[in-house]
Amino acid sequence: MGPINLKSIYYVSKKEFLDNIRNKWIIVLTTLLFLLVILFSYLAGTGGRLGDTQITVIRLISISSILIPLIAIILGFSTISGEAESGSFSVVLSYPVTRLEVLLGKFLGLGSVIVVSVLIGFGLGGIIITAAAGGESWLGFLIFIGLTILLGLIYLSLSICISAFFKRRITSIGGGLIIFFWGMILGSIFLGILYGSGYNIEALSKGNIPSWYWCETFLSPTDLNQVAVLRGFGVNEINMGPQISVTLPDFLNAGAVLFVHLMWLIIPMILAYFFFKRRDI
Amino acid sequence: MIPKTVKCPKCKHEVTIEGNPGEKIMITCPSCNAKGAFTFPGEKPTDSFSIQVNSLTKTFNGLKAVDNVSFNVRRGKIFGFLGPNGAGKTTTIKAMLGLIHFNSGSIQINGFDIIKNSKAVKSSIGYLPERIAFYDNLTPVQTLNFFCELKGADKSVVKPLIKEVGLEDAIDKKVGNFSKGMLQLLGIAQTMIGNPSVYILDEPTSGLDARWVKIVRDKIKTLNEQGATIMFSSHILSEVQSLCDKVAIIDKGRLVAEDTVPNLNRILNIKPRLEIYISNLNGKIPEIISKIEGIDAVDAKGDVLFVTCDYSVRIKVATALEQAGFQIKDIKTVDPSLEEAFMKLLFKDGGVN
Repeated sequence: MGPINLKSIYYVSKKEFLDNIRNKWIIVLTTLLFLLVILFSYLAGTGGRLGDTQITVIRLISISSILIPLIAIILGFSTISGEAESGSFSVVLSYPVTRLEVLLGKFLGLGSVIVVSVLIGFGLGGIIITAAAGGESWLGFLIFIGLTILLGLIYLSLSICISAFFKRRITSIGGGLIIFFWGMILGSIFLGILYGSGYNIEALSKGNIPSWYWCETFLSPTDLNQVAVLRGFGVNEINMGPQISVTLPDFLNAGAVLFVHLMWLIIPMILAYFFFKRRDI
Repeated sequence: MIPKTVKCPKCKHEVTIEGNPGEKIMITCPSCNAKGAFTFPGEKPTDSFSIQVNSLTKTFNGLKAVDNVSFNVRRGKIFGFLGPNGAGKTTTIKAMLGLIHFNSGSIQINGFDIIKNSKAVKSSIGYLPERIAFYDNLTPVQTLNFFCELKGADKSVVKPLIKEVGLEDAIDKKVGNFSKGMLQLLGIAQTMIGNPSVYILDEPTSGLDARWVKIVRDKIKTLNEQGATIMFSSHILSEVQSLCDKVAIIDKGRLVAEDTVPNLNRILNIKPRLEIYISNLNGKIPEIISKIEGIDAVDAKGDVLFVTCDYSVRIKVATALEQAGFQIKDIKTVDPSLEEAFMKLLFKDGGVN
């Protein structure tokens, strides 16, 4: 492998950004993000006023952990399989650019679309809330935005990996759906196992939770991200059901959570490179 | 390797050396230690050939899509690559560009190996794939700007290139709204970015109407006249015949022939066809024809008699017909076509070999 040409990476990322920022679905979902921030803030407030950022964000986590992965998967699921199938890769890769440069350029370009989408959706909403209801938790909100972008990049990395692995666009859609629902349902599966293995509500309410249960947090990027956002706001408890509030274990500290975030980001990209490198276009 | 005995100009001691055409060998005289150099006559292979494909093999799931294919394309020539669907043309071309990984063999373009030095190879190539697609939300200018950036070429060529391929009216449209023909034209424009010395065109006229087919053919000729080496695949045999200096025919992954069109016809013993215009023939084949030796095939349509025979038999045919009382108005000799060579190579008993 020769030296990496940063200019080529920049050119590919610029092209990806220009091509995808006009994607209709991304525009719709970004608008939805913005409207939801305002709506959740309104619901968090009293007497028709906008609520505090902390309460708004804690309510927003559940919706952002659906919409952000969705945006990332829409952007990434066919970025390699789709281009290989359509024929545009045949042209691009006939130019003096390596597959690694194309892959990194795609990640940065599509990642920039996610950054813009989150900044417009949540950033603009955050500014409005801070202006209307006070900005005591502005730092926490900034951390929330940063972690939301990180979640988007993780799902982008996963969807690019899926796209590099599957030969066809249609099978990549299936792969995209699997990674989307993996993050959504893993928590419920672990909770089911927890109840199934004899733990009842009384035990849970006393904080009697086995440490293996918390491993689920590391296996689901969306749950991991939710824990990180809570830590960002200095919140150390999560709700596991009606009237059951559980303290997060110490090993789920900010450093560990951030490290696992980075692993979720880097490992799929490394795998994507190996799949892409071996692929016949 | 060519052996050569050289004499030391100082002590006249003779030394035998070996080398390839164009290769420079440094010599130290074993007798007097004098140093000198000898360059073997002839062109270096890398200098005379733009494209060198050696023993290329590619398998898909154990099936040989390309089987031990070798050919060379001389610098500044037009090379036609022919074969039926699924013969291995596109696989070979994709391997030449590093788009697919091949199992064995080697490919050199302008002396650079596609695996060891792929960026150098790709810098000097303009490639048009068989199935082309670009980015739906970009305009043609943005698309070609992107390719200029990747090749490090001057972007000032973009608008003239778009005009040259007749897409100036669509300059502000998104490429996603382009027809197949328009995409093909944009694809042709992108091949010319950076003035490559080698063009590899996979079915360059597919999807184009007759007017643009002619413009593309003329463009291929012009690029070649300007010194570019062009390799293209096509199903249209007349197109290959009219443009190419040399052709290669591939079938079931194997190269079945590689030569000039006249040489192929000679090797395959394909004979010319006489078209004899006879008054009141009315589609009937004269009996006298069956008595002439050296005729391969006879057919008659209206007042035209078609006779496939050696050049030497033409006079016999014309004389025999006149002596039998037929009034010949005109005679034309139609040289054997590439199509006939192609058919003879690929088809046997009405089916593919």
